[in-house]
Amino acid sequence: MSNTKRQPPAHKLNWYASLRKDYFAGPFDTFCTLVLGLLIGWLLFRLLDWGIIKAVWSTEHKDLCGYETGACWAVIQDRGRLILFGLFPYAEQWRSTLACLVIIATMGLSCLPVFWTIRRLPLLWISGFSIFVGLMRGGFWGLSLVTSEQWGGLSLTIFIFASVFIFGMGLAVVFALARQSNMVVIAKGIGLLIDLLRSLPLLTLLFAAAVIIPLLTPDWLQGSKLMRVIIAFSFFFAAYQAEIIRAGLQSIPSGQNEAANALAMPYWSKVIDIQLPQAFRNTLPSTINQAVITFKETSIVTIIGFFEVMASGNAVIGSGEWTQQFVEVYVFLAVIYFIFVFGLSRYGAWLETRMRLGHV
Amino acid sequence: MSDMVISLSNVTKYFGTFEVLKGVCLNVSAGETLVICGPSGSGKSTLLRCMNGLEPYDKGEISVLGLPVGDDMSQLTKVRKKVGMVFQNFNLFSHLSVLENCVLPQMRSLGISQFEAQREAQSQLSRMHLDIHAEKFPDQLSGGQQQRVAMARALCMKPEIMLFDEPTSALDPEMVSEVLDVMQNLASRKMTIVCVTHEMGFARNVADRVALMYRGSIIEQGTPNKIFNAPEHSITQDFMKSVNHL
Repeated sequence: MSNTKRQPPAHKLNWYASLRKDYFAGPFDTFCTLVLGLLIGWLLFRLLDWGIIKAVWSTEHKDLCGYETGACWAVIQDRGRLILFGLFPYAEQWRSTLACLVIIATMGLSCLPVFWTIRRLPLLWISGFSIFVGLMRGGFWGLSLVTSEQWGGLSLTIFIFASVFIFGMGLAVVFALARQSNMVVIAKGIGLLIDLLRSLPLLTLLFAAAVIIPLLTPDWLQGSKLMRVIIAFSFFFAAYQAEIIRAGLQSIPSGQNEAANALAMPYWSKVIDIQLPQAFRNTLPSTINQAVITFKETSIVTIIGFFEVMASGNAVIGSGEWTQQFVEVYVFLAVIYFIFVFGLSRYGAWLETRMRLGHV
Repeated sequence: MSDMVISLSNVTKYFGTFEVLKGVCLNVSAGETLVICGPSGSGKSTLLRCMNGLEPYDKGEISVLGLPVGDDMSQLTKVRKKVGMVFQNFNLFSHLSVLENCVLPQMRSLGISQFEAQREAQSQLSRMHLDIHAEKFPDQLSGGQQQRVAMARALCMKPEIMLFDEPTSALDPEMVSEVLDVMQNLASRKMTIVCVTHEMGFARNVADRVALMYRGSIIEQGTPNKIFNAPEHSITQDFMKSVNHL
């Protein structure tokens, strides 16, 4: 840090001068810059060396793996399909790919403000989910039946995330509104439910949904295990998201509601047209945060026997043949998670900029 | 007086144990412009907000256009459709554009089609010389412009009565006149207006009747000429003196 007085920038410095000013202003600055720069450079070089230069790319050369070479990406070539598709029947994996693309496209489209109307958004999601389930499950038009126990890999991860997010978001809105209700029983009851859900670990909740519910309920009420898990997960998500939305609702100036009342707008219109858009706008960073957490938490369904992308990765390592390549497999998984989570947070940032400009 | 459109009898309201309205009786006839003035905390705004049910009251009766203003929500909704309100802080919907602010309430409250609502909104906005700002958002406008949008939004509902709650108090001085001009224009077109304001010039020049509130009661009312030039009550005299000193 330089000790010179801060001065208003009279004109823009050129890159050389600004580099000098920011990183080489004094001996200490220069020292720090050089040491850290060298450290980062060395780490990057090691990563490059390991990941690309000395890496083994093809299964033909897999014998070389483990002998003074870098990353052994042959494992991904060999078992990538297992990671991406789990136990989905090999010959039918094009369906899983297509379903995955459909759900990603649905998520992508619903990010566009054009679709943010009370009719378009549900329509988009209902059709997106129907196509997904149709493709994955099959059982018509000559597509063989693949039950949800066989679903797996990336498409299962995305499906769980998307369903939990959409269903949970709907629930969260209901929770948040109910908690503000004038009817004491409803408001207190929902408050208690939210506190209860938040005090339970997610794992306990999912375990109860997967294992304990079937013991207590008649067969016709059970649905599939995947469905029960998604519903339980949605309630968990909703408990947290409801509090976020409630904070958003409380941050709306009372004048907005008064104006709507004075204009004789009906209750549903006040909620849908005035309160919720403003609540979501005010709490966008927390909502994106919740979405990111939820995406990563989907890996917890492994424990109750679902073969989502993380479990598939573990299965590859556990197969004996590729036990040594656990780093490569986890790096591959990390990249998959990174792509989605980074996409989510970039989208959040884009939305925030857009809203700062005044648009919703 | 001819056909009464607003009538309050013995309206009493408490904030906790504080009696903010002490049995107020007031009648407003069609086409009249009534200005309510008085010192801060005298209950003027509360009285105004009781007239369209934004504030509940504890005792007495209010009827607007022959409809009771009270707990019956369906009657209250009917009243609110006919009574426009303009607030001190504009209260425009901050996430909607100027045009959407004017269009949405028409569609949702009156069930008017989007096409019709847009046509009405555009004509109201252009009457206030706001048509060039139709696509902007409230926070991109000046206070005076925002208040004119708020008036356009209220007028789009084709109200029979307009309530103004200190419409110029939050404005920079140079923007006060653009808002008062619109109100004066409304008054000259025989809109029924009830206005709470500290703008004594407006009261003197535009009002048909001025009422002075003090500690929850209307202590004197009459023509501007009488209230400003020959007030009877000593409190009115003091109030007029303090206002004229400003």
